[in-house]
Amino acid sequence: MTDVEHKLTWRGWLSFVFIVISFSGVLASAGVWSAFDFQTLIGNFGKIGDLGPFSGKGGTGAREGFLFGLTLVPTVMFALGLIRVVESLGALLAAEKLIRPILKPLMGLPGVTGLALVSSMTSSDVGSAMTKQLHDSGKLTDDERTIFVSYQYAASATLTNTIDCGAPLLGIALLPIGAVLVIELFVKILGANFVRFILARQTAQAPTAQENQTNISMGGAA
Amino acid sequence: MSMETLALTPKRTLIEEFCFGAKNGFYLGVERIIPAMILAYVLIMCLKITGLMTIVGTVLGPVMAIFGLPGEAVVSLVAAFFAKAAGASTAASLYAEGVINAAQVTILFPATITMGTLVGHFVRVVVASGANAKWHPLLLFIPLFDAVVSMLLVRVILNLMGIPA
Repeated sequence: MTDVEHKLTWRGWLSFVFIVISFSGVLASAGVWSAFDFQTLIGNFGKIGDLGPFSGKGGTGAREGFLFGLTLVPTVMFALGLIRVVESLGALLAAEKLIRPILKPLMGLPGVTGLALVSSMTSSDVGSAMTKQLHDSGKLTDDERTIFVSYQYAASATLTNTIDCGAPLLGIALLPIGAVLVIELFVKILGANFVRFILARQTAQAPTAQENQTNISMGGAA
Repeated sequence: MSMETLALTPKRTLIEEFCFGAKNGFYLGVERIIPAMILAYVLIMCLKITGLMTIVGTVLGPVMAIFGLPGEAVVSLVAAFFAKAAGASTAASLYAEGVINAAQVTILFPATITMGTLVGHFVRVVVASGANAKWHPLLLFIPLFDAVVSMLLVRVILNLMGIPA
């Protein structure tokens, strides 16, 4: 993981607010303030005379795929550099502070999962490892883990994946990256609640503790 | 991972952090994005030349119309099933070929990420977190459910913005 701050300071809040505003696209046409807009800062490639972009027009197949892929590298480099900086300033801790109190109504999860949840934004492996740890140390029940995993599984490492895998679409999509992220998070929470609903119905139908017990051991072995 | 190991790592300056992240971005570009772009562009070209694309488009047209997409757009979702990057690259390639428009790219964007790399991440997220095996089939279904909802959602949002989709 990153070399993060362990205490939430004003730097954490500031960097969190900065990254949210920068990705939201609200500053895109705000004059001087567009200097802080992510999409604006990516800039543009120059044009070669009147011929258009350096990658040319009408290319096809592997050659066109390569050139297009190459044009996306600066976007991904800038985005990951930026995320790394705000992460090191403690932006994740600020996000955790905000999300912690609403986890229970939102997905029926205890506040202690907050850090794992925000960590899963940038790393699916850290998220799942933390989830296993929370369960093994008794802070998360088997059902809560299932709900939490259903949230993490879809779009796993949402922020990083939207930027690196989604890079080819960032320049084409009609919504800013912030809006795409919000939509993804929304459906992730919706899916988790679908699982929450099914688990709640299951528990209501067969409330035997014994069955629950065997489930836990099965989960541990998997 | 643990707090102890975190405490041992020396503090980097912000500039070092930025450069480290940007360097990772470069490697991601070379290791994930460019290979996926090549695969996607070659695949689409192959489907177009053989005429399979037209067949896929005609057969799946009615289903994909629910999401405001042409039948051909399903190729992007199938590619996403294997890898998020391949799904997104395929959508970009379909756009370049003029098969889908920018609004339709927007509809596909969150879906390719949400349902993408379904099997690979099943191991890294579901199995690694030790989730109850009894619910594995349900968990496997959730990203697909999320993707379907996201496509409908984006379509509604675009319509509200006055963009026909």
